Amino acid sequence: MMHALRIARSKKLPRLAALLVAVVSLGLAGCDENGGDPKGQIGANPVLPELQQYLIPPIRIAKVVGWGNDAPTVAQGLQVHALATGFEHPRSLYVLPNGDVLVVESNGPKAPISRPKDIITGWVQWFAGAKAKDANRITLLRDTNGDGKPELRTVFLDHLNSPFGVALVGHDLYVANTDAIVRYPYQDGQTSITAEGTKLTDLPGGPIDHHWTKALLASPDGSKLYVGVGSNSNIGENGIGAEYERAAVWEVDRASGAHRIFASGIRNPTGLQWEPETGKLWAIANERDEIGPDLVPDYLTSVRDGGFYGWPYSYYGQHLDPRIVPQRPDLVATAIPPDYALSSHVAPLGVAMYTGTDLPANYRGGAFVGEHGSWDRTPLNGYKVVFVPFSGGRPSGPAQDVVTGFLDANNHARGRPVGLAVDRSGGLLIADDVGNTVWRVSSNNARSASNN
Amino acid sequence: MKHATITETTFIGDANLRLTAKPPGRPIHKMLVSFSAAYFAGALVTDLVYWQIPDVLWERFSIWLIAAGLIMAGLAAVAYVIDLAGGRQIDTPAWPRVVGYALAVLLSLMNAFVHSRDGYTAVVPTGLMLSGLVIVALLLTAWVAMALANRTRVGG
Repeated sequence: MMHALRIARSKKLPRLAALLVAVVSLGLAGCDENGGDPKGQIGANPVLPELQQYLIPPIRIAKVVGWGNDAPTVAQGLQVHALATGFEHPRSLYVLPNGDVLVVESNGPKAPISRPKDIITGWVQWFAGAKAKDANRITLLRDTNGDGKPELRTVFLDHLNSPFGVALVGHDLYVANTDAIVRYPYQDGQTSITAEGTKLTDLPGGPIDHHWTKALLASPDGSKLYVGVGSNSNIGENGIGAEYERAAVWEVDRASGAHRIFASGIRNPTGLQWEPETGKLWAIANERDEIGPDLVPDYLTSVRDGGFYGWPYSYYGQHLDPRIVPQRPDLVATAIPPDYALSSHVAPLGVAMYTGTDLPANYRGGAFVGEHGSWDRTPLNGYKVVFVPFSGGRPSGPAQDVVTGFLDANNHARGRPVGLAVDRSGGLLIADDVGNTVWRVSSNNARSASNN
Repeated sequence: MKHATITETTFIGDANLRLTAKPPGRPIHKMLVSFSAAYFAGALVTDLVYWQIPDVLWERFSIWLIAAGLIMAGLAAVAYVIDLAGGRQIDTPAWPRVVGYALAVLLSLMNAFVHSRDGYTAVVPTGLMLSGLVIVALLLTAWVAMALANRTRVGG
């Protein structure tokens, strides 16, 4: 700042102008502040710094370079290979009972421009490779002989509307488009559905549709569907009216299509899973931006019936967000802090509780989380798949890196992990929406190795 | 009636004059400066409304008004250079106006960033204060420039 003052004075500008130059430099200097070590924000009690507001919020995105002939790096005892490539923005995965893998190729609807900022955001997303055409389709992969190379690849469902979640109950296949859950008849072994879908219920969609993905999970008895519905803004900047029934987990009755809010105040619940030991519902969530490189940590949490998790009024319990007025002290008083922080801006977009047997025993019962990676933080955070060990139905240790290498040595993005799934033989599948690949991680034992 | 006659006469005279010597015409930049000042004043009004009624609609009015004001200011800067080059009449002394206006525009640029924040703090308190400061800067500039122009006239 003194430097800026000297420069301004040396040019013999009037004093007021010198002061102004100094003030502006100070504002810009604020952008250089780096985030701390993410390790302090992983687990049950993340360190939460004071919130800060920016003149120019930092934007730090990884330039897309693609994989070339490379593949991600995996932890010891594991191996990885591309199950299939050449997708258009694959976002989520679902494994059918016969082992067929559904790859949901999807992107969000066109965002409206409400403020000059939205024009800038559009450029940033384009640079980050997030402006791919919306394929709006689900592709089926079938690997009959289990060699990790699908023999069959067909268009399973086409002409969808920004689909994300998929759930099969009996012969009813549900697809969560951004604006509705649609049911399709499915016969075992079917490789393509041409039948018209039947709408089960509308979901909050456009015209803003800020967080467009709708995660979907069926209850074990098949009577209910749980839907992750993200907020319609970062922090309420589109008005509280735009948030009606958003930032919530819905419970939809499969027979009638009626719904209720199962839990609320979860900014963007992008993945839902049943914890295998206790049978409780768990979710991953993306928290708010623009109040610092270490605020607010994204999280993995159990979701309590009727629970309120803070958004937009507060985060991690009762930490108030000054950007939302009027406040709701009545709600904030009840806000539940999430169970497990994943650290800030990692953008968890896929979760899979591991109940398979192929991977080494230490992975059983825990949660894999696909971290798409940060765009507003220095240094970059996320861009990997981590594993959170569980014991007694609760996370029981620090998150471990399982699949890395999505960033190269220059911090350019070769790919970005999104949705996860466990296939029939226990391999972990990873959708990569920048590398346009589905990766398969399996155990590095002789049996699997010989298959490659 | 008399006024209209004068205008017509002036117009004809002006057209004739153009053939011989180029007269100092009305500077283009002044009009653009007035436009930007009006946009910035509008933003202060919508900020005040948002402060009282925090409906995002008013915050959006503000940021678009500030953005439009900044575009007009950019055009005014270009026009100012053209006016200088074209030898059009620039009010003397020019420096207080230029510095005061530049200050108001820089504050507005900061204000545009503040107004691009999400939620209430895009306006209250920093954005609202900046919108107010911009108008104070513009009014002071006008007042100082007027006072100096009068003194120059009296002195000269």
